[in-house]
Amino acid sequence: MNQADVSKLVSKLRIKVKAEHRNLRNPKGPEGRIDKLRKTVTGLIKFERIEVNYNRGDEARQYAERLISEAIRHGDCHTPTMKMADFWLLEKELVHKLFKVLVPRFENSNVSFTKMYKAPKPQYSRNLEKAVLELRGNPYPDLFTKQPNNRLWIQNVLLEAAKHDYRQSKYAEIAQNMAKNEEPTQVNSEAPKSEIIEDIKTQ
Amino acid sequence: MFKSLITKLCPSQLTCGFHTTACLNEVRLLTRLRVVDNSEIGMRAMAEGKPPKIICVYNKKRVGFIGDRVMVAIKGQKKKGILVGLKQIQNVKVPKFDSNNIVLIDDNGTPLGTRIHVPIPTILRTILKERTHAKGADYTKLLAIATRFV
Amino acid sequence: MIFLEFRALSTLPERVEEPPQEEPKEVPQRRGPKSTNPILEHRHIYPEFLPDPNPKWRNSLREKMERADMLKRRQQIDIPEFYVGSILAVTIADPHAQGKTNKFVGICIERKGCGLRAEFTLRNVVDHQGLEVRYDLYDPTIDKIQVLRLEKRLDDKLFYLRDALPEYSTFPLDMDPEILPEGTPVPVNPLKVKLKPKPWLERWERQELKGIANIEQYLTTTNRLNRKLRQTPWEKFDLMKQYRKTIPMEEQSDIWSEVNNQLQQLQMARKKMARKRTFTAPKTQLG
Repeated sequence: MNQADVSKLVSKLRIKVKAEHRNLRNPKGPEGRIDKLRKTVTGLIKFERIEVNYNRGDEARQYAERLISEAIRHGDCHTPTMKMADFWLLEKELVHKLFKVLVPRFENSNVSFTKMYKAPKPQYSRNLEKAVLELRGNPYPDLFTKQPNNRLWIQNVLLEAAKHDYRQSKYAEIAQNMAKNEEPTQVNSEAPKSEIIEDIKTQ
Repeated sequence: MFKSLITKLCPSQLTCGFHTTACLNEVRLLTRLRVVDNSEIGMRAMAEGKPPKIICVYNKKRVGFIGDRVMVAIKGQKKKGILVGLKQIQNVKVPKFDSNNIVLIDDNGTPLGTRIHVPIPTILRTILKERTHAKGADYTKLLAIATRFV
Repeated sequence: MIFLEFRALSTLPERVEEPPQEEPKEVPQRRGPKSTNPILEHRHIYPEFLPDPNPKWRNSLREKMERADMLKRRQQIDIPEFYVGSILAVTIADPHAQGKTNKFVGICIERKGCGLRAEFTLRNVVDHQGLEVRYDLYDPTIDKIQVLRLEKRLDDKLFYLRDALPEYSTFPLDMDPEILPEGTPVPVNPLKVKLKPKPWLERWERQELKGIANIEQYLTTTNRLNRKLRQTPWEKFDLMKQYRKTIPMEEQSDIWSEVNNQLQQLQMARKKMARKRTFTAPKTQLG
């Protein structure tokens, strides 16, 4: 039975926190654990969506949430918070991002600042759970799209192209049949399709 | 953590990199004690820097608690004594002392000295009264020579 | 399908380097530290009202009942405000003592436990013999707790007094209470104690204690090296470690708003009593 520490006041996190921390096994011990987490937190703040191992991601998520909530609570004129941000964010321009971008973004939110999804495991590798960790309000497309038929999905793009091809060839056929007269109704059905496919590959 | 420590420590300074729990400060065989009465033998033993050693604790656990009778080796003699203050963690409201204190008695429970010069826990009153039987040794004489109770 | 999306999205972080371009609005207003709720200040005076931060030991119903019991007990006797480093006099009903009461004076070296199990430890040196007595704060046998000198020390735990010279923990048993003027903040005593030479009970040099004056003179090079190796400078940045040790603000404000009324009534009653005492004190002197 311990007495709660009263020297510091913290705001409650909106995510589930385990009673015990995970050790994140590594040769350098607790220091190495914190170093690992610093890298992940920096990556999360920088890229806003990252794919990590589940355990490391879950730990890093808690630290990122705490960092953002401290930043919201104290603002950027508070020296300890500034030191904390300086410690956790390895790239120093991210400190500005934390206080100037993320704080206004999350100031009035009632939900957690981050989201974590389970990601599929790579097939031939160690049996590690993977997860996708992202900040809310990131600029990327949603991971779970609500519309089942998104026009931009690669399958739909390919189908569209195939349909287009088919139609074009049909038209050509009809045109050939219909016209013994000598004007080709349509041309270059191949070009747009190949372009689309090239685009998809580069993605 | 200790792996990292061991890698950091060069082997010549590697003494004991392992965590040990806090000691219990139990009074058991061969513990050195402090005699707190003014008996001749006790005073001399303490002055010479040869405090008595326990050679027997008279209870089933063989770990001395407050009010227990012990046999000590003091200046080449065997004497009996009563533990009147312990370093060990005590119950609530029972004082914990900075040293393990003992008052020497003889077989009948009569103290060898005439005065105890440190405070004595009040709970000893009850304990010693309980241990005193009509025909056995009378330990309550010890309470009479105490100067202060806490 | 989802798999494809994940791969595609997680492997192109470089392109996303410019997300800050979303709303580059200047920070609208300079927010200083948010105005904190004044009832949260109770946490320094009544730390035992907060539950254990370990979720393993949490039980909201039990905590609530314990708080009610604590308030009831506080209505029976006056449990004053005190801190580690304050000097207290505790009178208990003791069935073993001759006068059936027992009084002990000492410096509070530790406060621990939460709820009804809150404890504090007093230390004193009586007749050149160091003594420590542990009391339950809500023990029904306690008759009276009196604060003789209300102050704080530089550290949260004063266990190093066990290894300090005895004069630092010697307090006369018939000490008079020192009255602080109302409304003054609790003073911090910047006293630095001197340790006895080794052997010590603990490795004080590793604990970053502020209240020890002469520790360096007893250390060997090995001690200093070990201290350096065992330092954990990252720990003060471990945000989750701090979080797991504390009760979050939202939960605290629930707790304090629950007990605030009664605590304030108790404080008012104590002030009244204190005023009465100051009026009556000269009369007794005259008589």
